[in-house]
Amino acid sequence: MIVMRVIEKTMTCAEFQDALPELFESQADLSGHEHLRNCENCAALVRDLEYIASQARLLLPIHDPSPAVWDNIQQALRQGKPEPPSAARK
Amino acid sequence: MAGPTQPRPANQHMRRNPPIAGEQEAIDKAREGDGRAFEILYAMHKRRVYSLCLRMLGNVAEAEDLTQEAFLQLYRKIGTFRGDSAFSTWLHRLAVNVVLMHLRRKGLPQVSLEETLEPSQEDGPRKDIGARDLTLSGSIDRVTLERAIENLPPGYRLVFVLHDVEGYEHNEIAEMLDCSIGNSKSQLHKARMKLRDLLRTGQRREQIA
Repeated sequence: MIVMRVIEKTMTCAEFQDALPELFESQADLSGHEHLRNCENCAALVRDLEYIASQARLLLPIHDPSPAVWDNIQQALRQGKPEPPSAARK
Repeated sequence: MAGPTQPRPANQHMRRNPPIAGEQEAIDKAREGDGRAFEILYAMHKRRVYSLCLRMLGNVAEAEDLTQEAFLQLYRKIGTFRGDSAFSTWLHRLAVNVVLMHLRRKGLPQVSLEETLEPSQEDGPRKDIGARDLTLSGSIDRVTLERAIENLPPGYRLVFVLHDVEGYEHNEIAEMLDCSIGNSKSQLHKARMKLRDLLRTGQRREQIA
């Protein structure tokens, strides 16, 4: 544990950023990472990436297709392009 | 401060795809070829399918074409839906596949998809973060984030939308994109870094204006 902290503390910013994808994927709490205690730039980076990911999760489907899409689907169905579902199951 | 890949609840897809009243009845009737029931299914799911296509493609005309294609495929394949997952989860996976097939036909075949996911030098993470006075937290609205996602390079956008917006796991994305799990993780990180750049650049422009 002590050895890990020494390694974390002696990481350069480049080394820390190279390790970031795996650190995030490990789902570890990064707040206690030694490098972040001593590097405001990397701490800001981590905060921003966390914020972006959290905001993305909140994006909801809000766009509707134009009415032409359903018109085209109906037309294609009338023209018999797709097989009816019952035929596709056979 | 936990990493952005927070443990997702086991029912992540259920959170995004909650059961819809009347859906099962519409599915049952549509399987028998009931056109009205199929229209009900379209009305229930058009927004989610179209939003998915639009976010993956960043182009309204293509998104509409592929929404149409996805629902035509639904009509053909609804008889194969076995109910192992939520219907909306199954439909959205079908829509993702329609988009990916389209991208491959356009010149992003599976082999070169790995290449397109490789970052250019300028898209890579910066080692000199700088601008320590500017952080994003609390300052992004939905419209700004949507616009920034639109401006991501296509390979980055695909992985970001599938993972961070749609909630797919890296193993699922790797299977869909025919790339390694490590590649999916790496591209997601680079996509977030690129988004940060785009959002910060936008903020600086606003401050100057």
